[in-house]
Amino acid sequence: MRRRSIWKLVATMLALALVVAACGDDTGGETTSPVGDTTTIAGDTTTTAGDTDTTEGGTTTTGAQPVDVCEATVGFMGPITGEVAFIGEVQLNWFNYTLDTWNEETGYDFQMVEADNQFDTAQSATLAQQFLDNEAVLAAVGPAGSDQVDAAGAVYEAGDPNFTFISPSSTRAGITAQYTGMFRTVPTDDDQGPTTADFLVAQGATTVFMVDDQSSYSTGLADTTQENLEAADVTVIRESVSQDVTDFSALVGTIPDDANFVYLPWQVAANGTIFANQMAEQGKEAVIFGSDGMDSDDFLVAGSYIAAFAPDIAFVEGSESILEGYLEQYENTNTFGPPVYAAARVIFEAIERVCQTGQTPDRASVQAEVRNTDQADSILGSPISFTEDGDLAEGRFFIFQIQEDGTKTLVE
Amino acid sequence: MSHIGVDRWVAESEDREEQYSGWTAPARRLIDKVPSGWRLGVFLGVVALYPFLVKPAGVRIGITVLLLALLALGLNVVVGWAGLLDLGYVAFYGFGAYFYAIVSSDQIGLHWPTWVAIPVVVAATAVLGALLSLPSRRLVGDYLAIMTLFFTQVFVEIVVNFERLPGVETDLTGGPNGIPGVAPWVLFGFEFNTFNRNFYLLLFLLVLLIVGLRNIDDSRTGRAWRALREDTLAAEHMTTPVNRLKMLAFVVGAAIAGLTGTIFASVQVGVFPNNFLLTFLITIYAALILGGLGSIPGVVLGAIAVAFTPEILRNPGVAGWLFYLGLVVLLVVVLKRWVRIVSVLAGLVAFGYLVRGLALSIWDQSILGTANDTFVSRMVDGWVLVLGDHQNIVSNYAFVLAVAFLLGVIATKGWWKAALLIPTVYLGILVWENKLALQPSVTRQLLFGGVLVVMMAVRPQGILGTRRVEIT
Amino acid sequence: MEFFLQQTVNGLTLGSVYALVALGYSMVYGVLKFLNFAHGEVYMFGAFAGYGVLTVLGGPSALMVPVWLALALMFVGAVAVSSAIGVALERFAYRPLRKATRLAPLISAIGASFFLQAAALLLFTANSRSFDAPTLIPIQTGMPLGPINVWAIRILVIVTALVLMILLTWWVRSSRVGKAVRAVSFDTEAAAMMGVDVDRVIVVTFLIGSALAGVGGVMVGLVFGRIFHLMGFIAGLKAFTAAVVGGIGSIPGAMLGGLLIGFAESYTTAYISSTFQNLIVFGLLIIFLLLRPSGILGRPELVKV
Repeated sequence: MRRRSIWKLVATMLALALVVAACGDDTGGETTSPVGDTTTIAGDTTTTAGDTDTTEGGTTTTGAQPVDVCEATVGFMGPITGEVAFIGEVQLNWFNYTLDTWNEETGYDFQMVEADNQFDTAQSATLAQQFLDNEAVLAAVGPAGSDQVDAAGAVYEAGDPNFTFISPSSTRAGITAQYTGMFRTVPTDDDQGPTTADFLVAQGATTVFMVDDQSSYSTGLADTTQENLEAADVTVIRESVSQDVTDFSALVGTIPDDANFVYLPWQVAANGTIFANQMAEQGKEAVIFGSDGMDSDDFLVAGSYIAAFAPDIAFVEGSESILEGYLEQYENTNTFGPPVYAAARVIFEAIERVCQTGQTPDRASVQAEVRNTDQADSILGSPISFTEDGDLAEGRFFIFQIQEDGTKTLVE
Repeated sequence: MSHIGVDRWVAESEDREEQYSGWTAPARRLIDKVPSGWRLGVFLGVVALYPFLVKPAGVRIGITVLLLALLALGLNVVVGWAGLLDLGYVAFYGFGAYFYAIVSSDQIGLHWPTWVAIPVVVAATAVLGALLSLPSRRLVGDYLAIMTLFFTQVFVEIVVNFERLPGVETDLTGGPNGIPGVAPWVLFGFEFNTFNRNFYLLLFLLVLLIVGLRNIDDSRTGRAWRALREDTLAAEHMTTPVNRLKMLAFVVGAAIAGLTGTIFASVQVGVFPNNFLLTFLITIYAALILGGLGSIPGVVLGAIAVAFTPEILRNPGVAGWLFYLGLVVLLVVVLKRWVRIVSVLAGLVAFGYLVRGLALSIWDQSILGTANDTFVSRMVDGWVLVLGDHQNIVSNYAFVLAVAFLLGVIATKGWWKAALLIPTVYLGILVWENKLALQPSVTRQLLFGGVLVVMMAVRPQGILGTRRVEIT
Repeated sequence: MEFFLQQTVNGLTLGSVYALVALGYSMVYGVLKFLNFAHGEVYMFGAFAGYGVLTVLGGPSALMVPVWLALALMFVGAVAVSSAIGVALERFAYRPLRKATRLAPLISAIGASFFLQAAALLLFTANSRSFDAPTLIPIQTGMPLGPINVWAIRILVIVTALVLMILLTWWVRSSRVGKAVRAVSFDTEAAAMMGVDVDRVIVVTFLIGSALAGVGGVMVGLVFGRIFHLMGFIAGLKAFTAAVVGGIGSIPGAMLGGLLIGFAESYTTAYISSTFQNLIVFGLLIIFLLLRPSGILGRPELVKV
């Protein structure tokens, strides 16, 4: 064959393929949950009629037997690739895990659609619209960051306020009020700031060296905590570094000797370990207090404190088996995982409740049932129910101290 | 040739047609027979039908494509026509978007009417462009690139940390949270608050820009820019006002970016610092280069390709089709003769069964997992080895081996080439079914990067660019 | 005084790493007049290779060989992987584009960068890894320098970088291939006419540049402790700036540029502000470039008409 004709052939085939693709499916398309190791989960799998106390993970199932036919598709939006892929990857894995265990438990065949927004607001808006266009999608978990919530929320609000979206990690106070369908399964900065400040004051802090990482989450939290600390007459030295910095030596050098605590409300826990090592190198003796973003295996500096929204879930009765099952299938987890489990379960159970009334679930009915969520206990260590706006009614933060062997003990 | 009495475009038609070479030549000759006004009209007609053929999300993607096309056209002026390597372009985009957001939202309580806001924003961005062009007087080439890169970084830093600048009292930019709740364009009482309306607005502006730029390209300024690009020193000696031309290029590029920024802000109903990172600049450059630097239709085509492809690749079914199609294309292009293709395919099938048999005899049936849920995957399920246990680690090794074999295929000739193709394709399919198909988001990036490299190696001038030889 | 000394050591460590990566950029630019945007990814893979070797040897807490041997093997592994990737890049992504316009190899480099980042994501997942160097060599071991204690790993980094740079300078000056590299970067056509095998010289340049980047990657992993699939992007940007400020194409220039940026970052954070660290450092560099456009040690280019 001569060169020219090959290229013509190639061009035609590619063009054909693109046309088929574009005409065929404009939306994100449906994917079944990924295939892989499908080990069955150890633990209780009985669903009995009537009220039960603790089945898996301490959730209460209100109502009767699982219905025979209940179909639904739920979306997941998160930063699966990109700079904070470590957040999105874990969130996606937990979502798939929750879906698989739910389907096994109940015998249904719920489907999922994944949407990678790469932590970018422009893509979040497009993906939000794609969810809306796909009539099978009843609700979604995500997006992860507060600014993406703004972008996607604007689209949801204009397109279909009945569409439920539960963010498993957006903590900026006040945004749930702006979007009808927004809920979240994490407590907000308004909860964490005062809790942190009170604890530090109780521990005798006189000067606190605070560093934020210039992200939306971090600055908001640092601002709230700083306010509360200064109201209690604690001196706060506030610094800021960008998330790409990996060498904090110079910054560590500026920590004054009379600072007894260092507060790091960071998203990237591994940077916290670097900071701690460099503090040790330069002989700084202040104790590090990390926010919930630092609750991860990447940060295990003995003697430090962590604020987390769940007691280390392995200690919550019934949750241990969930965690084990997860770790058998996926390598690692971090703080961003469990709220996804909680959010996904909220949606799945709401859908089931709608099915039990005999209707086919649609977005409005699912949202109504989500509002009725009332779990006495959950993987997060506290009950799950929502305020009018969509915040957790009883979210609270717990404070842990990290021990020499890497375990975390509850301090408060 | 008696071309007296006809216009220049007609007079040059024979020369133009001779110049076309390569596989696009027949198509281009055909297109060339159509006057450019008609071409634009056809393009306009086709694109105008687009919103009626797709769902709203598709229109939103279309808006992204048009925004990118506008930006690429603006960058084309600076890089393609004037030859200035400007890596700070995204800062103009951001400046326009933020300025518009500040005067059209609750951030500081300003709500200027659109007909006031737009000209002010565009003018301000143009001034910024003029300022940025000042270093270009002293710096050339890569040094100018560094300087402009600085502005991209600095813009985002300033926007995120604005409140913390010494002496600043008001929160003008919203810090890392950005500015939500930006008002849409309102012209003559008509609100551009739906996707469709914004789509047509952008299309209108695109056409306007294309016509305008065409005219500039044909004018003295356009010719002066071309002279500047080809050989700055010679142009200067020919008394072309080099510095002023550079400034003009920057100003025009900046103004276009600023205007596009305002529409972006109004469509997204907000602006956030992460919208204007270096990665987006790279996207604009990719659109520019892939389409063909310096050619207006090329740039638009490049923008369409670059913006659409990642969206299409999101769908794992489509990505699968494209992958297998790509494999077929690879076979055809490398082997060329039917005999060879058939023998390689036969060898491939045999190889696959061989590997499968080996694996099953060493470990037993239990290592098999379940196939993916797409058409092609089901077809190849009995042949390729889809694993259950150890899926991850085997896929990793297979991936590295597949890349190594692929490089081997490129580097060798003759029978070696054909022979190495067999393990390459087999491993490729193995990795696809066991890993890549399960992670569509990562695969998308992998394929995009690969396409860029291959595209450049095969056709460095872009789709519609002309082959240029650099005289160093 | 103690504070200043501490910050100087910090700057020196950081600067050494930047210098090593900047060398790769500078050398490649010198011979090809082209900025290899995928260089950062080469550095990243070097770091992961070192991590891989460490894991195979048992990990930081259960090392099967003495520490010094482990470190040496890590460097060897990193060099092997980085050089392989660098040479492959040159051969398959850049060589076909030798005769094309300036921007085409740039886009190819960007495409290669995306590809490598995605490959890293597939192979290593998004989770960052840590060398856990304090377990290998406890933080307290080191050399006292006046009032402060300098961690042994930092000393290792600074000394290794210095030795490598001295070796490289000597090699470029005295060895045949080194002279060939200098000849090609000065005037490619003339060198070809003098019988220098330009293709081979380019391969050698990429090899050495990538090897140095790989070493830099392992050093970053040791000193700062966090390696992840996007680390190359950020470091690449800084090293690229360092190479330009030092005078792109010049080897001592790259070293100087790297050290300069390292010091600038440390002192700025320490004495001025950490929030605006990037801004101020970049600002200084820009002003510097405006005053001296070809960089510190760059030759002002003579453009022939």
